[in-house]
Formats: sequence, structure tokens, C-alpha cells
Amino acid sequence: MAKITLIEGVTMALAHEMERDESVIVLGEDVGVNGGVFRATAGLQQRFGKDRVMDTPLAEAMIAGVSIGMASQGMKPIAEIQFMGFIYPTVDQMINHAGRLRHRTRGRMHCPMVLRAPFGGGIHAPEHHSESTEALFAHMPGIRVVIPSSPQRAYGLLLAAIRSPDPVVFLEPKRIYRLQKQEVVDDGEALPLDVCYTLAEGDDVTLVTWGAMTFETQKAAKALASEGISCEVIDVATVSPIDMDTILESVEKTGRLVIVHEAARSCGVGAEIAAEVAEKGLYDLEAPIQRVTGYDAVMPLFRQEYDYLPSVQRIMDSVRRTLED
Amino acid sequence: MKTFNLPDLGEGLPEAEIVTWHVKQGDQIATDQPMLAVETAKAVVEVPSPYTGTVAKLYAAEGEIVETGKPLIDIDTGEDAAAGPPTAEEPTDSATPSAGDSGTVVGSMPVSDEELVETAVAGSRRRRESGKVKAAPAVRALAKKLGIDLAQVTPTGKGDRVTRDDVRGFQSAPASRPPVSLPPGTPERLRGPRRAMAQSMSTARDEVCPCTIFDDADIQYWLPGQDITVRLLRAIVAGCQAEPGLNGFYDGTSMTRQLESRIDIAIAVDTADGLIVPVVRHVEQKTAALLRDDLNGIKKSTRERTVAPEEMKNFTFTLSNFGMMAGRYATPVVVPPTIAILGAGGLRHDVVAVLGGIETHRRIPLSLTFDHRCVTGGEACRFLAAAIDDLRRPE
Repeated sequence: MAKITLIEGVTMALAHEMERDESVIVLGEDVGVNGGVFRATAGLQQRFGKDRVMDTPLAEAMIAGVSIGMASQGMKPIAEIQFMGFIYPTVDQMINHAGRLRHRTRGRMHCPMVLRAPFGGGIHAPEHHSESTEALFAHMPGIRVVIPSSPQRAYGLLLAAIRSPDPVVFLEPKRIYRLQKQEVVDDGEALPLDVCYTLAEGDDVTLVTWGAMTFETQKAAKALASEGISCEVIDVATVSPIDMDTILESVEKTGRLVIVHEAARSCGVGAEIAAEVAEKGLYDLEAPIQRVTGYDAVMPLFRQEYDYLPSVQRIMDSVRRTLED
Repeated sequence: MKTFNLPDLGEGLPEAEIVTWHVKQGDQIATDQPMLAVETAKAVVEVPSPYTGTVAKLYAAEGEIVETGKPLIDIDTGEDAAAGPPTAEEPTDSATPSAGDSGTVVGSMPVSDEELVETAVAGSRRRRESGKVKAAPAVRALAKKLGIDLAQVTPTGKGDRVTRDDVRGFQSAPASRPPVSLPPGTPERLRGPRRAMAQSMSTARDEVCPCTIFDDADIQYWLPGQDITVRLLRAIVAGCQAEPGLNGFYDGTSMTRQLESRIDIAIAVDTADGLIVPVVRHVEQKTAALLRDDLNGIKKSTRERTVAPEEMKNFTFTLSNFGMMAGRYATPVVVPPTIAILGAGGLRHDVVAVLGGIETHRRIPLSLTFDHRCVTGGEACRFLAAAIDDLRRPE
């Protein structure tokens, strides 16, 4: 069995589904000859040909628009946006068309497309290359937003996203693209969308996170365990719609919630989770909900990016603070 | 010795021109220190050093064009062994995925061979009863301030929630009594209705100044088909109308009484789990038939244990109809903040002296306890007299 990285999990899922389903098409800037800026599509054009792995012009709105057109006519396009910082020209297409197609046509048409983009900081990239703006898409009805945090979930969730009859924005935490390896079997088994993944069980505090922050959060949980603090770690995985049942059940058990995300604090997905827990889990809370997040400021250039990203230390401080209450 | 290859600096461009070297052979260089400037099709880009060490060799001079992926510089790091796995705190690109491919077109991709070991469980799989206390944050804060362990407080709120009043009530209960140690055995913590009874009776003992009057109501001339409990409820209404001072609430701390025009009577019902006290609302407005319906409803819901906590609250008077088992008179306990309770013993045939001789009459023994802090003996007697008068009526 192969031990592979998260990015290789993406490639494996793309190849598996292209092999299995001829309607699956990959398109994007440099996805063909070059194999993608992060090599997610490496080897796919050689294997499946130029008609199914298409290099496009530098025109993200067009990439999304063409994908929606193909999806509405029975194909399953998987579009790659090189960095989330370049995804904004697609937002018009995604809000006004992808998310609404089923509703607009009263169910006659739907939009089985995947919009893939690497996101988040931590690789010392230039401006525009490090933001986490998943909340923009999470706020839009009709679009799923899925974020894997391990090679296994990259593979399984991407398969599920491709097979989903509705549009999925699939955001890949690029900082952990090659940070860890895991055995993944190329068996075509999709993982469920719209559910959280509990990565560690604990009794004292619930840590809710997603994407690359699962790495720091799990480190914090391990360090806290040596102090006798037992943390439950939940990877939200699908940030829209959010599986609140899992989070609420955990909060019922622990009474304490710390939300960790890389994105700016205000109006982030963490705010939505905090609001839901305040509405539905208030009587279980034993301490105020804490958020450990990026700051409400422009993502700094790379020398300071680790000052912006939540650190293991910041997460541990928050957990200790919530336990003081 | 580490060789650094020219990374892909601009979206897959094949080459770049070296504009300036900031270091020369033999220089010390630190990680992230600017190493050289290269010009791609897009811009002049500063390339920081990926390692700390001594510059051993520059592969190209300023002005030369270097192909992406070709060697640029050798740095003697003083150790050839690979460093430990990089952490996300300090990403390094010491191990590139393959020669000439850093895995990214910008920045540096943290890479490691560390194996991810995890058990990820999808979704919510455990509908578990956590058994933890439910309480609003404000109530938790109050309990913390008062030094009360919420787990010790009996919840009376919706969904078994501990309310502010539960915490305050718990606080007012005498807490600092010397602990009683039970002889060896199998102690059982009181729960549910029995625990609630223990608490309200302790409060009653600590607060109320009880006084009980005994008398009998002669029901010899009742027409057939009279419903005893309904008649007792009606008698209480008559008593309250004659003497409203017994129907309502009294707060001893502020010396305030609050008399009520509504008459909501709590009826003590004996169950295996303890005393349950559901309430019949607005007794003063209901016909005998309606009252009987309410009583039947209460009987059913207590038997099925479906009486909601709200249905046992906010009553203005209490009836304890204990006579069907044994007992003639009693000293029923007033439940604060209410003011009075009427106890009815077993209906029986008594020998009574009448004008001109002795007869046997059916009578109901009555015991009226009132809180003497806010009710006078005269008021209580007038109440009882009116109730007895009403009970005497044939129908």
C-alpha cells in the first residue's frame, strides 16, 4: 500500500474518477502540460489526453463559466484555480449560476462541477497567495464547500465531490500538501460529505477546526494531554453545510468549545459555528466559546505570515483560558 | 553540502536571468537571508536562502540565464545528514519532491516523510447521554459565585435545566450543618420527586410558622353521587371567598404577601417515587364536571409519570386528601411561598350528639394548616367555617 501525501491523494482521486467515468474532465491553467502549479494534475494529460485534461487561458471567470456549461449538459468538470487569491473572478459565475442552476430550472438541470483551489498561508508565497476566504463560498446557498485535511480525506472527499450532483468548491490546504504521508488505498471509496470527522476523542474541551489548522490543533491537543487536559478534536471537513450535530454532541459532553481557523476572525466560518452552538447548545456551555483565528487584517507577506497564522501556543493558551472559567 | 536549484519562480517559466548576487563564495548565509535577485518574465524576484551555512559555489554569474531546476548555489551547511522532519512552524524545503520540482511555483512547500497516523470518525455516531448538568451560562456563573456545585442542585427547569431559582433555593437551604454519618448499609441518594419533597419540606420547616385547626364536616345529608374530591375543591373556593387571606403567597424576607383572585389548587398525589403535586387551575371558574375531567387527567398523568414540571408550579393553595388509606387528622405542611393547606382524612361514620339524642353521621375530618406569620387565627377559623358550610350542603 502506498504512503502518499495530501496532494497525491488529490491526484489519485482525479485519476481514479477519470478512469471510471468518461464524463469527468479536468481543466484549468497549466493543468495539462505542466501538471498544475502544485502538480495536482501531474501525468493526467499524458494518460487521458488533451480533450479531457485541458489547459485554459488565464481567465478564471471563463474557467468557471465553461465548467457550469459542461456540468449542465451532463459532464463532470473539475476546474482548478491556481491559488484561492485568483478565485474571485469565478465568484459571479458560482453565485449567480452554479449555485442557482437547480433552483432556476426547477430541478431540470443541475451542476455537478468541482472548483478546486489551494488555499491558506504558510508556504512563503507572494501577495494574494495565502488567504483563507472559505467563508465567502460558505455563505452562498447552493454550493458545498469541502476542505480535506489528510491524504485519506483528500482522496475520499474529492471522489465524493466529483460524484456530487451539485457544485462543490474544494479547497485544498496547500501548507500540508506534502507535510505528512498516509497509507491510502486507491479503491474508489468516497468519504461522506456534510459530516465532521472526529480526529481525537476527549472530555474536557472540544477543538473544532479544518484545513491546515488540523495540524497545529492536533499538536496542541497532544501537548495538552501531557498536562492532563483531554481534548476532542473535530475536523469540520465540509464547512458548508456544517454538520452541527457532531459539534453539539461533543459540546454537550465537554461543555467547552475552542474554534481554530486560519481565516480572518470577523464573519468567518467559526462565527457561524459559535452562533449555532449559542443557539442550540447554550445550556451545555460551561465557559464562553473561544476562537483562535487569523486577524482582521490583510494577510502579511511571508516574513510575518507565521505571526498571522494561529500557532500551537495560541491554541493551547485559549484552551487553558476556557478551562479557567 | 546542499545544492539549491533554481525554483520555478513564475508560473512555469523555463528560465530566469540573474540580476544580482547578494553573496559570494565563502560568505556566511542564514536561512531566509536574501541570496540573489533574479528576473523572470514578470518581475525581479528576491530569492532567500533556504539554508544556513557557508556559500561554497555559485553556478552562474550576474547577467547569465539559468534554466529552472538547474543548480544555482552550493551551501555548506556543516551537516549532510537530513535534518529532522520539518514542522509547520518552521517550514523548510530541504526535501523537494523530485530534482528540479519544489512542488510549488511560489514560496517553499513544507515537505516531510512523517507518517500521519489518525483515526478519523465520520459524523456523529454516539447519541449519548452525557448526564451532565444543563444550565444557562448565567446560572453557572451564579452557582460559581455562590460556591454551589450545580450537580447537587435539583433541576426544575425545562429539559431538566437548573434554573436561577434552583441555585438560589439551594443556597438558602442550610448548608453548613455538621455532616451526618450513616451506619454501614446501602445509602441511596434521594432523586426526583422524593428529593424535591425533601427540599421543599426543609424550606417549610425553616420558614413557615405553622398552626393547624381540626374540625369535621358533616355530610350526612349529601345527595347520592357526590364527588368527594370535587366537593373538597369547591369547599376551598368557598373558604377563599370568605377569607381571601389564605389564598396566595407570602415572602417572609421582605414581609410581603400577595393574595390571588385565581384559585389554583395543588393536589398531593402519593406515588412509589414520592410525592407528586400536580395543580388544578382556576378551580373557582370550573363546574364539577370540568373539575372531574381535570382530576382524571391528573390521575392519568401521574400514573404515567408525564406531569410536566410547569404543571406543578405556581399554585395558590394545597389540598392533601390522604384519608383513603388511614388517618383522621394531620398537621399538613404548608409549602412556601403559599400560605395554607387543607388536609382531608378518611370519610367515616361518627357518633354525633344531636338535639334529642344520638345519631351516626357521615363526616369528613378536616385539618387546616396556615402560616401564622401572615394569617390570623380568626381568619383561618372563618375560612374553615365557610369550607365546612359548603361541604354540608346536600349538593
